[in-house]
Amino acid sequence: MKPVRKKRLQTVLLILVTSALGSFLIIRALDSNLDFFYTPSEIFLEEIPENKRIKIGGMVLESSVIREKTKISFIVTDYQGSISVEFDGIVPDLFKEGSGVVVLGYLKDKTIIAEEVLAKHDENYMPPSIDIEK
Amino acid sequence: MVIEAAQFLTILATGLFFLCFVFSIFFDVNDLNIIKLISRIYSHSFFLFLSSFLIYVWLAINDNFSVLYIAQHSNTNLPVFYKISSIWSAHEGSMFLWIIFLSLWGAIYNFSVHNNEPLKARTVGVISITTVGFLLFLLLTSNPFETTLPLPPENGADINPVLQDPLLAIHPPTLYLGYVGFVIAFGQAIAFLIEGNSSINWEKQVRFWSIIAWSFLTLGITLGSWWAYYELGWGGYWFWDPVENVALMPWLAATAFIHSLSASSKSSILRIWTILLSILVFSLSLFGAFIVRSGIIDSVHSFANDPERGLYLLAFIGILVMTSLILFSYRFTILISNKRIVSLSKESFISINNIFFGTLIFSTMLGVIYPLMYEFIYDQKISVGAPFYNAIFVPITLLACLFLLFSIESKWQSKLKFAFLNNPLIISFVFSLFIAFLSFKFYSVSRAWTLASLFIGSLIISRYILVIYVYIFHRKFVNIYSVLAHLGLGLLIISIALNNDFSSERALNIKINETETYKNHEITFNNLQLTEGPNYESVKADFIIENKNGNKFSLNPEKRKYFVRGQITTETAIHASLLKDIYLTIGDQLDDGSWIVNVQFNYFIRWIWFSATLMIISGLFLARSLNRVHS
Repeated sequence: MKPVRKKRLQTVLLILVTSALGSFLIIRALDSNLDFFYTPSEIFLEEIPENKRIKIGGMVLESSVIREKTKISFIVTDYQGSISVEFDGIVPDLFKEGSGVVVLGYLKDKTIIAEEVLAKHDENYMPPSIDIEK
Repeated sequence: MVIEAAQFLTILATGLFFLCFVFSIFFDVNDLNIIKLISRIYSHSFFLFLSSFLIYVWLAINDNFSVLYIAQHSNTNLPVFYKISSIWSAHEGSMFLWIIFLSLWGAIYNFSVHNNEPLKARTVGVISITTVGFLLFLLLTSNPFETTLPLPPENGADINPVLQDPLLAIHPPTLYLGYVGFVIAFGQAIAFLIEGNSSINWEKQVRFWSIIAWSFLTLGITLGSWWAYYELGWGGYWFWDPVENVALMPWLAATAFIHSLSASSKSSILRIWTILLSILVFSLSLFGAFIVRSGIIDSVHSFANDPERGLYLLAFIGILVMTSLILFSYRFTILISNKRIVSLSKESFISINNIFFGTLIFSTMLGVIYPLMYEFIYDQKISVGAPFYNAIFVPITLLACLFLLFSIESKWQSKLKFAFLNNPLIISFVFSLFIAFLSFKFYSVSRAWTLASLFIGSLIISRYILVIYVYIFHRKFVNIYSVLAHLGLGLLIISIALNNDFSSERALNIKINETETYKNHEITFNNLQLTEGPNYESVKADFIIENKNGNKFSLNPEKRKYFVRGQITTETAIHASLLKDIYLTIGDQLDDGSWIVNVQFNYFIRWIWFSATLMIISGLFLARSLNRVHS
């Protein structure tokens, strides 16, 4: 092989190897930081480790909200399954019994310890995978 | 009647813009008359289109609810300011504004460039066809001129209360000005490729416009971030929301672009980068429009879901990008510079940082579209949160900053000499190590990434301060605005790191006349009263905060209920000081009469805004200084 060609081949190989390595690292970082989204009826179908952050979407069950000091607990349901949620802090203005909510947190002893409670900034919002006539 | 006239004007303008494009492609643009003709047609169609928009604004001010869009988004009770801003509070009207700005940039370019070169005619042509693409999108899928006739409603449905904020009224326009401002760079790059004459220095002409557009984009993003901070009540300034990310991607590309421009306007050495980046910046701006307007992603920002719009935009972006890339590969040979990039030269460091910028853009893009692909393939909803972005952005940004430092030491087209000991880099290195050590020892900063960020941030700041020193006392030429912008970067890195490390929050359960203590501050719930605003009623709390030095001040967080839509919003109360913001929001009242109150200490948040402002102002001044050189 001519030296010029050899050098060009080396450059191409170097670029390929670094970009492959880079992409591998990025995708690995992505894979270990994904938040999986579950509905309350799906959540007990599989093993979810305690340290895995997950998202739960559903409706806040009527008269399930209990407040104690700054803590609030409620039940999220998709009318097929349900799960209880505990949260310390202020829930959003649109948080209401019987309306849609998305919770980000960790599963522990069949309860979600929430990091964040979100209610969409739209009064007509329904969590995506639920379309149930009430 | 009037609204039909406005619609007609827009249709007419669309036709004329298209004519501009046809002339610029199929006629001989070396003919001076043709160049002048194209320029004249463009100005005329712009004025037709602008008058259409002004009529629309006038209709909105006068509460003409026979226009469906105005009826849906405005209300007679609104102040005039919000009647106007309601035009860009939803999809159709904001698209209208977007296209106005797009053609406005073209018009300013058309007016202010007098060289009458073929490149100008071609650029105007490219801007025209882009405008036509969006105008057809507006007219065919999102018509703002639709009427409610024959029965116009008595009153409009009102603007969303969270959008009734002066800052949010100006956030979309500034952001749009930034997004579409890169149409000039894009247009010139494509015109350059069509012309195929490698001796044209298009980079020099385009620097001024690109830096202005970059400043607007930065301003738009900063305003959005600031608004989210005080309005949404979460106390953060960046949430890695998909729609924030699609604004960040063009910003990153634009930043890489303007740096490459400064290299290739001197010699055509980084030309492949500048052409590719100009295409990338504009495509990413359009991609942002696609993500927001197709409703494909759930976000606070997204408009209603409409597959037809999404498909149109996707096809439009696809055609634009494909045509550009085909043109690029067709002209590839004229882009190759006969000079090689000298290793360890300024160009080489800029190239390396372009790769880092590319990596950040790629990762952000992955974070935005991976959930869509994942759901499509595995039928499982996922989302990508802050931890992923932090894992990528923190190390890569810090690494890129190191190369930035090398590039200060290096020169254009010659090898960096490692005459280190005599070097200002050593002084700043020692200084920064000292800063990092002090913060570790006395201010209990212990997280490795915070220390690393402090170290790198101080390196940048101290190194640039030495540059300023040399500038003042040794009269050595430096680009002072670029220095100030990079000081902003150093400051931004430090403020973000410290904000992340020191900030804290706690929810309190408190009754009227009770006092709670949080971090050496006594928080007393003094009073609660019901008040009424022009279009809302509110519960306003009065808190007295006393810090350990005995200084007292009051904070009044609110909860508002807007009459028309019945929507409830939280108004935060913020006490700002040099180092920290004390940030209060009230939540719900419990059965025993007590209230939930959230108190946050947000450290160095003002510094983040300040750093961004420094970058924006430096950008604008830099553009001004470039313009002076040209004329």
